[in-house]
Amino acid sequence: MSVILEVRDVAKYFGGVKALDGVSLTVPERGLIGLIGPNGSGKTTLFNVITGFYVPDRGSVLFRESNDLVRIDGLNPNEVFKKGIVRTFQIPRLFNSLTVLENLLVTPLGQKGENPVRALFRNSWSKQERELASKAIELLKTFNMLHYVNSKISELSAAHIKMLETIRGLMTPAKLYLLDEPAAGVDYAMARELFTYVRKLRDEHNLTFFIIEHRLEILMEYVDYVYVLHNGKLLSEGKPQEVISDPKVIEAYIGV
Amino acid sequence: MIGFDIVGFMISWLTLFGIYAILSLTLNLESGTAGITNFGKVVFYGVGAYISATLTTYLVLMLNGVNVGEKPPYSVDGIILLGELGNKNPLLNIGLLVLSLVLAFIIAGVLGYLLTYPILRVGPAFVGFTLLSSGELLRIFLQHYEPVGASKGLMAIPTPFGWVAESRVREVAYLCLVLGLLALTYVVTYKLVNSPLGRTLRALRDDEIAALCLGKHVPRIKATVLFIGSGFAGMAGVLLAYYLTSVNPNMFVPAVTFNVWAMIILGGFGNLKGSLVGAAIVTFVDRALTFITPQLGITVISPDYLRWVIVGLLIVVVLIVNPKGLFPEKPIKTPAIDVVLEELRGGSK
Repeated sequence: MSVILEVRDVAKYFGGVKALDGVSLTVPERGLIGLIGPNGSGKTTLFNVITGFYVPDRGSVLFRESNDLVRIDGLNPNEVFKKGIVRTFQIPRLFNSLTVLENLLVTPLGQKGENPVRALFRNSWSKQERELASKAIELLKTFNMLHYVNSKISELSAAHIKMLETIRGLMTPAKLYLLDEPAAGVDYAMARELFTYVRKLRDEHNLTFFIIEHRLEILMEYVDYVYVLHNGKLLSEGKPQEVISDPKVIEAYIGV
Repeated sequence: MIGFDIVGFMISWLTLFGIYAILSLTLNLESGTAGITNFGKVVFYGVGAYISATLTTYLVLMLNGVNVGEKPPYSVDGIILLGELGNKNPLLNIGLLVLSLVLAFIIAGVLGYLLTYPILRVGPAFVGFTLLSSGELLRIFLQHYEPVGASKGLMAIPTPFGWVAESRVREVAYLCLVLGLLALTYVVTYKLVNSPLGRTLRALRDDEIAALCLGKHVPRIKATVLFIGSGFAGMAGVLLAYYLTSVNPNMFVPAVTFNVWAMIILGGFGNLKGSLVGAAIVTFVDRALTFITPQLGITVISPDYLRWVIVGLLIVVVLIVNPKGLFPEKPIKTPAIDVVLEELRGGSK
């Protein structure tokens, strides 16, 4: 299977703190890959490097564009998104004054009505707007959220907020989804439902998921490969069963 | 005792309202909808006013064969000549109005873009302070720049309708011009707010980082909004200069900006109708005090100070009763709403 994302020897230092210290890993296309590690091991920092929030001090990040892997480190977050990478946050970042529908509609890039001159002429963008609205409604139906279509974000449950943050990426042609703790703050049943949806998305839309998660009991059930970070370094990797029984991983987590 | 001139009051109030409403509508687009802390609205207002004042006074003198090197418009000779020559040629006056409006829009707009583009990547407080201090820098510069009259400013600016003999007709004609431009501003801001661009602007305001992660070029979008808002503020400045027939640096103090902020806080952040109501209230208080105080023979309290007290009290009361202002923000109206309604009614094909 071809690689969609490759991280090569990435290091990121904050003063004397080595948040990432030479991490190399690959994410295969249509993979459902986990990224675990104790608090402060550098997981979110790695996501921030991949999505352009940090420029790595060493190493490179490559992303598949048609048949080539191209470097994306050093790009701005908005440029990384344009390449086809969507991320979600540990604490979800939705647009709170917008409705659920508007949160989906705001996502697609290059909307005609986003141009200030065209925005003045409704006829030049209303057709596209209607198409996007239909697409958004279809998405909400698929995920059983249609009854929230006009709700404000504050009226949603934690699980629905996480779900919305993920599925808004489906309004775009994005290929790779970086999810930062999707199950945090969500009850067990909903968390499983969320991961079931993720797997469905991977299967039906040919998407790739790279997921940070602390709730290993849920994560391990769904992912097909796991990377373990510890103190900014890759500690272990492998199939969920292998990783979970790796003495090094157990030690890092329990902290003997 | 002089009778109260109700018509005169209405004309002067509505003219001032029209000029300020252009500022409040565009500030609401910039700050209410897009979340840019524009504490420098007065910069673009002042630039517009000075463009029209400078252009009009110099061109009227030069086109009438006056050597502006010897008799510049800010000199006593120049002011007298402007009074004599200013209102002879209606076509010239109206031509100068149009030219001023166009130039003010472009120059103030470009200035808005250039001043803010480099700083929009930093936090909102810095944007606010940079624009605030830009306004003060501009004012201090104008105070010392001789060609625009330094601290005295420019006077006896020939007005677009100066050639109309009857003063009431002249005032009404000018009022129509102001209200016409206000209508244009309202239509433009309304269409921008109720479009995909308006939705993106609200998204930037809510969470800049999330917007960035969705590929939005945050600084460019914000600077574009400031281009539009500042362009219209420049036009409002042109209207002010012709209305008062004079400009001087002390007209463009930071208080002007905060007066406009008071209007949008009163009316409601992100609600354009609210901006109109806010502008109407604040300018009404201002005009009413100016009209009434001399007639009551009150000299102890300056209407200027009383105005701030009244506006301040109004803001406090409104915000206690309704923290979102008189008119809270409304959902964006785009055809997407119709699609949803069709869907919910079960009209799926």
